[in-house]
Amino acid sequence: MDSLGNTLANLLTIAWLLPLFGFVVQILFALKWWGRKSKTGAYLAIFCIGAGFVCSSTAFYKWDTQAGHLVFKEAKPAATAEVAAPESEPTAEASDEHHHKKSSGKQTVFSGTFYQLAQFGDLKISLDYYIDSLTLAMFVMVTLIATCIHIFATGYMSEELVEDYVDHQVHTHDGGHFHRPGRFYRFFSYLSLFCFAMLGLVIAGNIFQVFIFWELVGICSYLLIGFYIERHSASTAANKAFIVNRVGDFGFIIGLMILWTSFGTFNFADQHAADHSVKPGLFSMVTRDDHGEFAKTSGGKDVVLTTQQDGHGAWQAPPESSPRKTIAYTLLIVAGLGVFGGCVGKSAQFPLQTWLPDAMEGPTPVSALVHSATMVAAGVYLAGRFYPMFTPEVLLTIAYVGCITAFVAATIAIVATDIKKVLAYSTISQLGYMMLGLGVGGWAAGLFHLITHAFFKSLMFLCSGSVIAGCHHEQEMPKMGGLLRKMPITALTMLVGVIAIAGLAIPGVYLKFWWYIPYLSINSDHGYVLSFSGFHSKDAILATALGYTKLNPLHFLLFLIPLLTAGITSFYMFRLWFYTFLGKPRDQHLHDHVHESPWVMTAPLLVLAFFAAFCALGGEHGNLFQTLSHSEPSHVEHGFDGSQSHTVSLPDSHSLHVKPAEGGASTHDVAGRSALLAAFIGMVISYLIYAKRVVNPDDIKRQAASVHAFLANKWGFDDLYDVMFVKPAHVVAKFAAAIDKFVFDEILHTFVRMGIAVSKWDRKFDEGVIDGIVNLMGNSTHSLALSLRNVQTGKIRQYVTFIAVSVVTLFVLLFALYPKG
Amino acid sequence: MFSPEVLSNLIIFVPTIFAFFLIFADTKATEFMRVWTLVGTAITFALSVALLGTYTPADGGIQQVVAKEWISSWNIYYRIGYDGISLTLVVLTGFVFMVSMLASWGIEKHVKGYLILFLILETGVMGVFFALDFFLFYVFWEVMLLPMYFLIGIWGGPRREYAAIKFFLYTLFGGVLMLIAMLMYFFASASMTGNGIGSFNLLDLAKWAAQGNVFSPGLQVAGFILLFIGFAIKVPTFPFHTWLPDAHVEAPTPISMILAGVLLKLGGYGIIRVAYPLCPYGAQYASYALVAIGVVSIVYGAFAALAQTDFKRMVAYSSVSHMGYVLVGIAVWKISEVTGAAEGRDYWLMGMSGAMFQMIAHGVSSPGMFFCVGVIYDRVHHRDLNQFGGLTGLMPRYSGMAAVIFFAGLGLPGLCGFIGEVFVVLSAWNYSKTLAIVSASGVILTAGYILWALQRVYLGPEYKGPHPEAITPMTSREQAIGWALIVPCFALGVYPNFVFDYTDKPMAKLVRSLDDGYQNTPKPHSELQTTQK
Amino acid sequence: MQAIGPNPFLFIGAVLFVCGVVCMTTKRNGIGVLMGVELVLNGANLNFITFSRFTPLGLDGQVFSLFVIVLAAAEAAVALAIALNFYNNHLTIDVDRGDDLHG
Repeated sequence: MDSLGNTLANLLTIAWLLPLFGFVVQILFALKWWGRKSKTGAYLAIFCIGAGFVCSSTAFYKWDTQAGHLVFKEAKPAATAEVAAPESEPTAEASDEHHHKKSSGKQTVFSGTFYQLAQFGDLKISLDYYIDSLTLAMFVMVTLIATCIHIFATGYMSEELVEDYVDHQVHTHDGGHFHRPGRFYRFFSYLSLFCFAMLGLVIAGNIFQVFIFWELVGICSYLLIGFYIERHSASTAANKAFIVNRVGDFGFIIGLMILWTSFGTFNFADQHAADHSVKPGLFSMVTRDDHGEFAKTSGGKDVVLTTQQDGHGAWQAPPESSPRKTIAYTLLIVAGLGVFGGCVGKSAQFPLQTWLPDAMEGPTPVSALVHSATMVAAGVYLAGRFYPMFTPEVLLTIAYVGCITAFVAATIAIVATDIKKVLAYSTISQLGYMMLGLGVGGWAAGLFHLITHAFFKSLMFLCSGSVIAGCHHEQEMPKMGGLLRKMPITALTMLVGVIAIAGLAIPGVYLKFWWYIPYLSINSDHGYVLSFSGFHSKDAILATALGYTKLNPLHFLLFLIPLLTAGITSFYMFRLWFYTFLGKPRDQHLHDHVHESPWVMTAPLLVLAFFAAFCALGGEHGNLFQTLSHSEPSHVEHGFDGSQSHTVSLPDSHSLHVKPAEGGASTHDVAGRSALLAAFIGMVISYLIYAKRVVNPDDIKRQAASVHAFLANKWGFDDLYDVMFVKPAHVVAKFAAAIDKFVFDEILHTFVRMGIAVSKWDRKFDEGVIDGIVNLMGNSTHSLALSLRNVQTGKIRQYVTFIAVSVVTLFVLLFALYPKG
Repeated sequence: MFSPEVLSNLIIFVPTIFAFFLIFADTKATEFMRVWTLVGTAITFALSVALLGTYTPADGGIQQVVAKEWISSWNIYYRIGYDGISLTLVVLTGFVFMVSMLASWGIEKHVKGYLILFLILETGVMGVFFALDFFLFYVFWEVMLLPMYFLIGIWGGPRREYAAIKFFLYTLFGGVLMLIAMLMYFFASASMTGNGIGSFNLLDLAKWAAQGNVFSPGLQVAGFILLFIGFAIKVPTFPFHTWLPDAHVEAPTPISMILAGVLLKLGGYGIIRVAYPLCPYGAQYASYALVAIGVVSIVYGAFAALAQTDFKRMVAYSSVSHMGYVLVGIAVWKISEVTGAAEGRDYWLMGMSGAMFQMIAHGVSSPGMFFCVGVIYDRVHHRDLNQFGGLTGLMPRYSGMAAVIFFAGLGLPGLCGFIGEVFVVLSAWNYSKTLAIVSASGVILTAGYILWALQRVYLGPEYKGPHPEAITPMTSREQAIGWALIVPCFALGVYPNFVFDYTDKPMAKLVRSLDDGYQNTPKPHSELQTTQK
Repeated sequence: MQAIGPNPFLFIGAVLFVCGVVCMTTKRNGIGVLMGVELVLNGANLNFITFSRFTPLGLDGQVFSLFVIVLAAAEAAVALAIALNFYNNHLTIDVDRGDDLHG
């Protein structure tokens, strides 16, 4: 029986739904049951997410012992342990109808359906799950970081535990500060909702479900950025974040439409019907042959979907004689770009990066959880999850977008003075790295960086939160300085994060762990380079990039710019640290009141610092990387030779480590050494300027004023978009409203006026002509009568005269007319 | 308790019976009359839910038909019945009227007249949803018109006469077009009835239309255009929509709720129940225009909403935008040029079902939005978006409810607005790539105008407008309304099968018969070819 | 005796008639007018009798004239009563004062 799939699904579902439960209870009852001053709601939230972490870890443990055999393995010789070959392993066999396990290459996937949303003929839309090592790693990472941040937030947000909270950043019209009830419980309910949405996104078994939770994390982000709803900057930033994300989602929807219409399914994994027939999932329909090429029609313009299973269960294209589903290759590219458009929005990639720095309006724990470690990484996660669907052209776009983003954001970070803004730009820059890694064919490298980055970036954000809390909500670095003595734990944990992100290492020094801690106890021949997590992951990305540029010399910038950016990253991160923690206090008043944060805030820092330092131990031979690459799409490993189809080629991950026969270093070593050198140079420059003050940074600023202004203005993207999109949208909106008012209503009014005019004419005709004729007859009769009246004098003699004269006249006439009878 | 036939008659006429007894009520006993009316609407709603229980979803056809001869010389019958499509709308109607009645407590002017008209309106709407005889359909359609005219024209805002007349003119114009089409079909069907008079029976007419050779293509195109314009005015779609903002802005809150929640659905229902089945050829002939109109409505309505400064007007334009999805979903009927058979019929079915769902979802979220506007308008007596702000601090519970309802309108997953919108958009690509992309761009604009409005009304530190002293927390009656609207928002969003369970089969049947109808209708150009040979 | 033709009778009748008419138009006294009427009637009577003697009209003419006489008597009675009343009301019998009902 395939109980493993069931177990994993149940555990992860519990981990996923617990925060939802927490959210519902808090939003409905927290105020009523516990009041504003109680931390009970927060404890409930921590319990939910902590239990989620336990479930996720258990699931990971189960998966690894039964299917992965990577981390918690028996003490086997290293050589055999490295090669996890599931074909030979007694993995779970026949599955029941709802849980299916797929083993091809190294992948082990469990999939199934929660419930069906709708069905139209053969088209089904449901809520599914798709569990592989990536899902598990993400679950563990998200729940772990979220738990730490929840705990941190109970300290950070504690000033909200009052009936009357004074917001010093908001001024009322009478000049005072704004007073409002504290919203401690609300903050934690939003965090719980976010955790639910984020975990749902990760567990999602189809792209439509990803979209659903994609939107939900978006709205959580909106709620959390706009947590201080009274601050206009916060609500504007929240709107901006959501709307910019929607721009990306517009692309996402186009991608969904293409996939839905061409493939007829959203599912990642194959669907097993009750009658044991199998419907291929998305990934099965676009399988590559041994050369990494899609099955194409004879013309080469359409990709034939592999919808038929051969005897071994592998998917292949149906023969030409039978009805075949095809999709135009260009359409496949557009679909890929569309979905990637969603990733661009969510992960704040160029050109939609502008929302993330503004999102720092939210409380710092939010920045740590949502806007650095998890939600913004969801774009990278999706790009990784959806990797089999991306053509080399799409990957090239991803690579360039990532490359540009990494560089642009890093340059802006140099001039930022707000401690959170620096971290925000570094987040964007690092996300660019991940995208770059995915784009150049380093699937595992990109996701590896996602995980390591999540740890060190959430660590640094929490440290900055600790600093901000210690400095009484002062975020400007120029006012800090010399905080090392006042806040030693914060400063040192921050240093761990800085070293990790800068990618520093001590080359040539190797460590060997012999401790019996499962994760650390793997040995390799050399031991491990003494370095923190960022070094390994950045190393992996740059190595793949170098391999890529070797295959495609045209795209050499894809290695050089990231290398340069590595140096810049090291520079500005150390600038931040030196600026904040070393030197003399620049604002003595502030400095006097600074204090180290309480243990609820520093303890999470220590935990995260541990992971930031050691989670990637062993680099590409270490457990984390191996776990991730267990889910690597099968076609990635062998690279791709694009010379025949006139596209780009992708490097083969093994060749990177191979030392050339004529001697010298392997691609990997070359990249690693260059990156290390760049990082050291950056750190040294930073040290000289900001710690030793060899040159006064203000002088540099004056010397390059225009460059500084350009960078401080964020390359002018905000202004550009305002002019290009926001203003025109309002103009069009006014125009549309005006059309209604002045065209459609006017047409209606014209018709009405015409109707009224016609009826007026009608009235005139009635009154003038028809009534006139009738009246004329009456009048003439009347006037005749009036004139005859004069004859009636009442004088009898006159009458007699008339009679006589009349008789005579009659007689005369009679005789005149009838002379002779 | 009652047989289904009796139940459906009761649903139509219980409101009228309650209205009749209201005539004898003392004019001053307002509280009693309100409770009485509420009981009436609640009973109607309960009956409609009971009817839901008697329905057999597995059977896609019309169920429990009641037919009584009415005017025999014209073959007019009192013929009612229902399937999943009308039934879900009947339940929605019962629900919206009940909730609107709760929201009518604030009406102080001529309470008795208001309540009587309110109940008669409900009878008219229910009758339209049940009617299976074209003539009866038309009668109920017009019955609905008059109470609405008075409800806007007497109990409305400052420009109520203008709005009421505009509403009346538009709807009457549509009704006349429908009448013409009805007579066209009546006389065209004379050869099919045994007695040579013609028929108003919608079921028979649809059946004959599906046979294809009864109604000529010319008749179908002309009939469809007439019927479509008649119904499109009610939906309303661009460019027949301008009555809607005025009517909404001037109508009192509960009437706005009904207008948005139910009356707009009649247009969509008419297209699904009458225009399409009777004129499959005409519908397919005009499909590109229909989808284009729908897409323009989506984008245009969203842009217009973005530009409004009147809160209620903005919500009214959002209705135009949302109802555009309904039209798009119905119309995405792609055919193979060679065979005339529907291409990707499942996608069309998805569009149709999405449109249906969108109608129900909009029927919940849109009254909610109008209710939210009404709550604040009742307190401060203005609706200028730029003169609000900070309501979250002053009315936290109300603001929370409003946020949920507006997010439902925004199409957030997990709330009701999402499923309909996204299903329609997904099904549109199969029909036309360009139009699909334009319709998808609606998501950005919708987010834009709703979030911007939320920011201006609910967020921020202070309320900026007049009468700040009047802002008091929600009353328990208002809270009850809010909850009543929020619960279905969540239920439909999380488990859309509440609707799809009932509409799937009838929709599949409809799509199949339309497909047949188009294929069976002799095409003008093919006739031309045969004569040339 | 030589037979006399109808002409002298008719002539006298005409004279009588004309005298009556002139009397009616000129007299302002009501009684005078009444006398004029009588003259006119008698002129007519003379004509009736003349024509009954000289034409095939026969006795009919005599009968008509008898009727006229009776009628004249009755008319005179009524007219005198009117005149009396008129006098009572107006203290005169001048017919020109009796134009109260004029148009």
